[in-house]
Amino acid sequence: MNKLGTDKILSMYWFIILTLVAGGIFAMVYNFYGAPYDVRNIESEILAEKIADCISRGAIIDSEFFVEGAFNTEISEVFMEKCNFNFKVEGGYGDNKEIQYFYEVEFYTPEDVANPKFGFYGGNNNWKSDCFIKKENNKEYAKLAKCTEKRFYALSEEGNQYLIKILSAIGKSEKNVR
Amino acid sequence: MLDNKKAPIKLSHYNFFAKNRKAQVGESITWVVATIILIIVLIIFIYASIALAKTKSLKLNVKEDSEDSADWINSKTQIAYSINSNNKNKIEEWISQNNENE
Repeated sequence: MNKLGTDKILSMYWFIILTLVAGGIFAMVYNFYGAPYDVRNIESEILAEKIADCISRGAIIDSEFFVEGAFNTEISEVFMEKCNFNFKVEGGYGDNKEIQYFYEVEFYTPEDVANPKFGFYGGNNNWKSDCFIKKENNKEYAKLAKCTEKRFYALSEEGNQYLIKILSAIGKSEKNVR
Repeated sequence: MLDNKKAPIKLSHYNFFAKNRKAQVGESITWVVATIILIIVLIIFIYASIALAKTKSLKLNVKEDSEDSADWINSKTQIAYSINSNNKNKIEEWISQNNENE
């Protein structure tokens, strides 16, 4: 009679242990595979490189950037279409369905590398401020936009030297950070 | 007065049961300790999985001195230098400011 009781308790004990181990394994797998890969760094790098390709193929800046020797100020309006960018594809990530991308292009001359000669931007301007915050390794900072800055040198068709700075930012923290 | 004379050991029902209970307590402690160790190990593994999950970030590992790197932006600059290399030092310095910021 007593033995039967001990067996029952032991069975219950083993069942609890089994549940604990199974629950532990489930928690481990859920934690690891449930966490998304943060690909925003790569995404912002790709965006910056695509913009650079759109501005200058090889080393010559596209002629559409200039009108009669000066910068074409209307290029910002047609830049997205010209480069085949569509930023509205992933607008549903944020609470306000806001655009999750930002880019800024600035042209400098070697004579004055501090002040841009011409510049334009596109996408959601709210992400820009995130680029200048020093990101520490904690959850709050992980939700800030990921940015990439690229600098290169190119020439206009007339042979004028220009230094080009591209800043790209990707929001999408809901998709990439848990 | 104390009686130093030892009482004869009786194999009474009480004594027999007490001895048995000591063995049971010892065995139970073993199981309790084993369970605690199991729970601790599980907690360690769960924390490890959480820590590993936080490292799931993909980055482009493009190093300038790496042979298999493909820095498209830098190649544009190099092509431009082959056409016009005036102010090269100034341009290099300006571009390197970006690398310092990264």
